[in-house]
Amino acid sequence: MVTLLIDDKKIDVKEGTNLLRACLENDIYIPNLCYIKGMQNPPASCRLCFVEIEGEDHPIASCTVRVRDDMLVHTDTPRVRRLQKTALQLLLSVHDVDCKNCPANRKCGLQDMARFLKTALKSNRFDLFLKKNQVDQSHPFLDYYPNRCVLCGRCVYVCRDQQKLTELTFAQRGFNTVIGFFGNSQTIPPSCDRCRACAEVCPVAALLPKREI
Amino acid sequence: MKDLGMNLALSAEEKSLLELITPELVKIGKDRSKLIPILQLIQEKLAYLPGEAIHMVADHLSISPSEVYGVATFYNQFRFNPPGRNPVKVCLGTACHVKGGDIILENFERKLDIKEGQTTPDREFSIERVACVGCCALAPVTVVGQTVHGHMQPSKVEGLVLRARIEREKQQREKQKNESSE
Amino acid sequence: MSPANKEHANPRFDEIREKAETRKRAFKEAPGPKIHIGMATCGIASGALETKDAFEQMLAQLGIDAQIHTVGCIGHCYAEPFVIIDHPESGFPPIFYPEVTPGKANMLTKLFLAEGDPRFEHILGATEKNEMIPWVMEFARFSQEKRVVMEKCGHIDPEDIYDYIAADGYSTLAGMFQRTPQEIIREIKNSGLRGRGGAGFPTGPKWELAANEARDTKLVICNADEGDPGAYMDRTILESNPHQVLEGIIACAYAIGAHKAVVYVRAEYPLAVRIITGAIQQAKQLGLVGKDILGSSFDLDIEVFQGSGAFVCGEETALIRSIEGFRGMPRHRPPYPVQSGLWGKPTVINNVKTLASIAPILKNGAAWYRKIGTENSPGTAIFSVVGDVVHPGLIEIPMGVTLRTLIFDICGGIPKKKKFKAVQIGGPSGGCLPEDFLDTPIDFDSLTQAGAMMGSGGMVVMDEDTCTVDISRYFLDFTQKESCGECTFCRIGTFHLLTILERITEGEGNEADLKTLEQLSEDIKNGSLCGLGKTAPNPVLTSLRYFKDDYDAHVEEKRCPGMMCRPLVAYYIDLEKCARGCDACVGCCPVEAVFTTSNRKKGIDQSLCVKCGECMVACPPEYDAVRKVSPPQLAPIVERPQQTVKEHK
Repeated sequence: MVTLLIDDKKIDVKEGTNLLRACLENDIYIPNLCYIKGMQNPPASCRLCFVEIEGEDHPIASCTVRVRDDMLVHTDTPRVRRLQKTALQLLLSVHDVDCKNCPANRKCGLQDMARFLKTALKSNRFDLFLKKNQVDQSHPFLDYYPNRCVLCGRCVYVCRDQQKLTELTFAQRGFNTVIGFFGNSQTIPPSCDRCRACAEVCPVAALLPKREI
Repeated sequence: MKDLGMNLALSAEEKSLLELITPELVKIGKDRSKLIPILQLIQEKLAYLPGEAIHMVADHLSISPSEVYGVATFYNQFRFNPPGRNPVKVCLGTACHVKGGDIILENFERKLDIKEGQTTPDREFSIERVACVGCCALAPVTVVGQTVHGHMQPSKVEGLVLRARIEREKQQREKQKNESSE
Repeated sequence: MSPANKEHANPRFDEIREKAETRKRAFKEAPGPKIHIGMATCGIASGALETKDAFEQMLAQLGIDAQIHTVGCIGHCYAEPFVIIDHPESGFPPIFYPEVTPGKANMLTKLFLAEGDPRFEHILGATEKNEMIPWVMEFARFSQEKRVVMEKCGHIDPEDIYDYIAADGYSTLAGMFQRTPQEIIREIKNSGLRGRGGAGFPTGPKWELAANEARDTKLVICNADEGDPGAYMDRTILESNPHQVLEGIIACAYAIGAHKAVVYVRAEYPLAVRIITGAIQQAKQLGLVGKDILGSSFDLDIEVFQGSGAFVCGEETALIRSIEGFRGMPRHRPPYPVQSGLWGKPTVINNVKTLASIAPILKNGAAWYRKIGTENSPGTAIFSVVGDVVHPGLIEIPMGVTLRTLIFDICGGIPKKKKFKAVQIGGPSGGCLPEDFLDTPIDFDSLTQAGAMMGSGGMVVMDEDTCTVDISRYFLDFTQKESCGECTFCRIGTFHLLTILERITEGEGNEADLKTLEQLSEDIKNGSLCGLGKTAPNPVLTSLRYFKDDYDAHVEEKRCPGMMCRPLVAYYIDLEKCARGCDACVGCCPVEAVFTTSNRKKGIDQSLCVKCGECMVACPPEYDAVRKVSPPQLAPIVERPQQTVKEHK
């Protein structure tokens, strides 16, 4: 067990615990999207879970940090909030904000963070860019909505590391990156139809089962 | 964004080329780290990666096709549409950019009526932008087929296209002549 | 042979060296002239193959017995294809000829080789000191360079291992195997060598970290995934002197205890791939690579992996992912590759230039290396200098030389009597520096402090007619296309930076855009996952800091001071100067925008003009009638007569 101070709150956790997890389990909310409990090496790709740790020059993604004794952590500093707000606004600038018609409405990762960070879902800081293709229906059991997707990669992770399948993958690159399942209709195992783990971990309802079980 | 030419049917020649690759795959082995070298091998033979090839590689390495596809679409080297017989590569390296490489690219696009990354309907030309072909002192540079053309000017574009077209016609005439004389 | 190496007699190596020296003697003593032709990619692109053919044909035709020696790149790009002719019988020293076209090759064969006239007007200089021809070392472009890494480039045949050995190559191995790995690491540490990949991490300590990992399998990777669109020194080194890199790889592997090494080269460099692959085979045949190297019982296998074209794979964790067969997406560090790298094994990843520096250090000692360069950045730096300089090319200088010396003395300054405006250093990760920084010494720390970075070593010199906003847009366009898409800031942030910059260069930008540009740049820098994202905003941040006037002109006046942003410029024809009846500009216009006015002069239809500038080039200098202006409204409107339109349609 180690003891650390997060926002002046004393916390005892097991040594080596992931700092983001330590915060979340002690009711200290830190915005996050790509982290799933139990991940060995979190991808740290959503760039939301920043904190400041005394002794470090810059804000650092808390999911990449393991707790140490006497660590002094601040989760609510101007630098942290600035990065988090920008990251959220960037995600929203390629997101089809149509909450009324979205199955994720009221249980959406983006809505939660926007409320927490007091950021409008529709801001004019950045121009809105949506992909032409509203929905990819080429998967036999799933529909994919690229303009909802935040590319957190949780679906890819659960499919790969928990179901031991490689049915979902990132495809294309850079700004054009999407979740892809090219050509899998011919090779997909029937177990895929029963699983749904990917849709369940999606924070924004970008992956939806074609039919309810 | 990489355009997938999945609707294209393989020509007989491409099919036989693909079949020839099968024994080579056995030699290369089934290690995951061979994925990129295998894709490079196929593209070297076919000049692009048809959908069939992706499935073939997936089968060989026992991974899903989407996994292969995810890797292939990540790298600039791989293309999913056959290039033209005269691939035009316009260098947009730093030196070429400063000397107006984008104007050259635009001229090719206008002349051939296709955009960068596309192939003309007759499959004669395709246009690509490349980053530095390594002759910065000759900027701006364009590579047509295997030939490097330095100090490019917009007015040279038409000549290059015309020359390639004339070459092609000449070849075809000779081919016809040979066929008829046989 | 240096005395230091004599002590480490190694019968196997001595035999190889004996053979190499015999061959070199035979080449030297063979009768007839020797023609050295640079045949790296840059030479070939400039027509070196045709030049070689021309020499061969003409030599055969005239029945001259001469030897053609193909060498790598000497780094003098402005002079390609270059040829050095060593013709002792003529009484002249070896002569360096620039820009040898097939025609010149024919002429030189006939007049110089056959008749003994060296054609002074085509000479750049002699490669030895003499009474008749200026020695190249009297020129700053040669004398102010300090060649450590590129010393042998352009002088040896990269495809012949014996050429390298005869030039004292592989001579460090025998001595090295008599020392412990710890001693080798100490030597490298003492030399103060810092990684030449860009960030400048000290090499010795890196090796030590890997050496201290108690694991059976360790690996060495030579990073030749050179991605900066304006830098090509790694390619040149592999194409011109691959064995010096291999010698460094062997030393690194021995020092850390690795038995496998991978050379990661871009597939876009086919010649480099071919030459390094061949070099490994040759070294294997001589027992310099493979099992029991030179009887030392040390084994090392070296493989080549072809990178498939992703700039981000220059980042070491992404590079590792791509060798493993995955998408080249970087991961968070630590763990660093020296702890957990390729296939989870401790891995040292060093740049080509770093590894090519090892053999000279081992040969001459750490103290010798320390004397070159500066206290904190010992050794040399290689730059590919392009853009508005008289003598572009690859230049190796001691660290600490100022930008002014490099640009104005070594590279000959700005052509056409134009004024210096800016220098962009470090490619897409670097920054744009103004005149005030010309006296900055070139070393890792000073450049980083100035907001640029050593980075890839790409250097673009820009004269007064350059737009720094456009250059920033160019680099952002590159990084945005090359972003791997993994993390939010780089994937979406660089896209917005680019769209804002595009808007500004099109004259559609506003004050708020400048603010967003600056703030977003800072956030991307602080928030991104890997080095590519963290450095991507550097071109924007430095140009905003040092060339704010350029941005303001675009935003407030819709004017491009460098007249590079095409939507903000216009061409027109000065009717006072235009000559009646001259059609030079009409013929060259790719879009038929030039028309004949009612009084048989020319005008430009602004609605059709694509602003390529061809007419300006074509207009005969005695008229010099085409003008370029910004903002475009400054161009007077000339009505197109009705009938000419009909004529064209």
